[in-house]
Amino acid sequence: MDNLGFVLGASAIGAGLAMIAGLGPGIGEGICGGKAVEAIGRQPEASGAITRQMIIGDALAETTGLYSLIVALLLMYANPFIGQLK
Amino acid sequence: MINTAAVLMAEERTFTVDGPLKSIVFELFGKEWVIAETVFTQWIVMLVLAVLFFILGRNLKLKPEGKRQVIAEWIVGFFTGYVEDSMGVKYKKRFGPYIGSLFCFIILSCLMGLFGLKNPTSDVSVTASWAIITFVLVLWTKLKTGGVKGYLHSFIEPMPFMLPFNIIGDFANPIAQALRLFGNNVSGMVIGGLVYFALGSFAILVPAVLSLYFDLFSAVIQSYIFVTLTMSYVAMADMSEE
Repeated sequence: MDNLGFVLGASAIGAGLAMIAGLGPGIGEGICGGKAVEAIGRQPEASGAITRQMIIGDALAETTGLYSLIVALLLMYANPFIGQLK
Repeated sequence: MINTAAVLMAEERTFTVDGPLKSIVFELFGKEWVIAETVFTQWIVMLVLAVLFFILGRNLKLKPEGKRQVIAEWIVGFFTGYVEDSMGVKYKKRFGPYIGSLFCFIILSCLMGLFGLKNPTSDVSVTASWAIITFVLVLWTKLKTGGVKGYLHSFIEPMPFMLPFNIIGDFANPIAQALRLFGNNVSGMVIGGLVYFALGSFAILVPAVLSLYFDLFSAVIQSYIFVTLTMSYVAMADMSEE
């Protein structure tokens, strides 16, 4: 197997592995949404404020997932390892 | 047999996420200058917004006569009310216009993907520049409300050993904000492109549903989050006692 093929294949696997980090934000947003529904159930009149806070919480929980997405995108479109072959 | 067919099919189509407009490269003063595709798209967005709000804001009356002024007043009222809700009355006048125009600009930029143009938010330098504006606003608010002494003192609160964490925290906010908007939009574009590529000539219903989610829903939510985070960062940076 030539080096380029190996690097490309390993990069594709790495991009896939990086996206496993999507688990964390998924769980976090699930907890966040569940708690928000609980809070609205207890205090329906505060639903506007709770929803606003929930969306901010979701956005913050999402950040780690986006970092992994950036890594995966780098491996897919701007692979830094190919340049090191030469 | 199937494998070779798949490879042949894959070779005919190339996977790309570029839009129909191209970047312009020209020479001036002996240097090469590049106007990126996303800059063009932003000019279109600016033009649309400028024309729209010029028409909406023309010859206003004390008592609204047509639908036009009612719509304009509703938009302004919505954003000032939103700023007042999240930041307090103090910032209503000062931040209402900025937050409103930022929201309109981001949401229209995100929706440019629907018209087949390259989404400006899928360029990390665009989102980074918006995040830097927020960073400067936070810095300015801190310096204005706390003075230089208060600003420097905020780094060693609550304990002096928190200094490195506070410095990292200050710089992490704009980076996270830029990458959040960029990541959300570019992920939608990449997933949409991959699905188109994978389905080939069978791409009928699935990309439309994906586009509905990524281009419409995600765009609205992300622009909302971006302006909300901008407001909460600035409100948190306010060190004046009230």
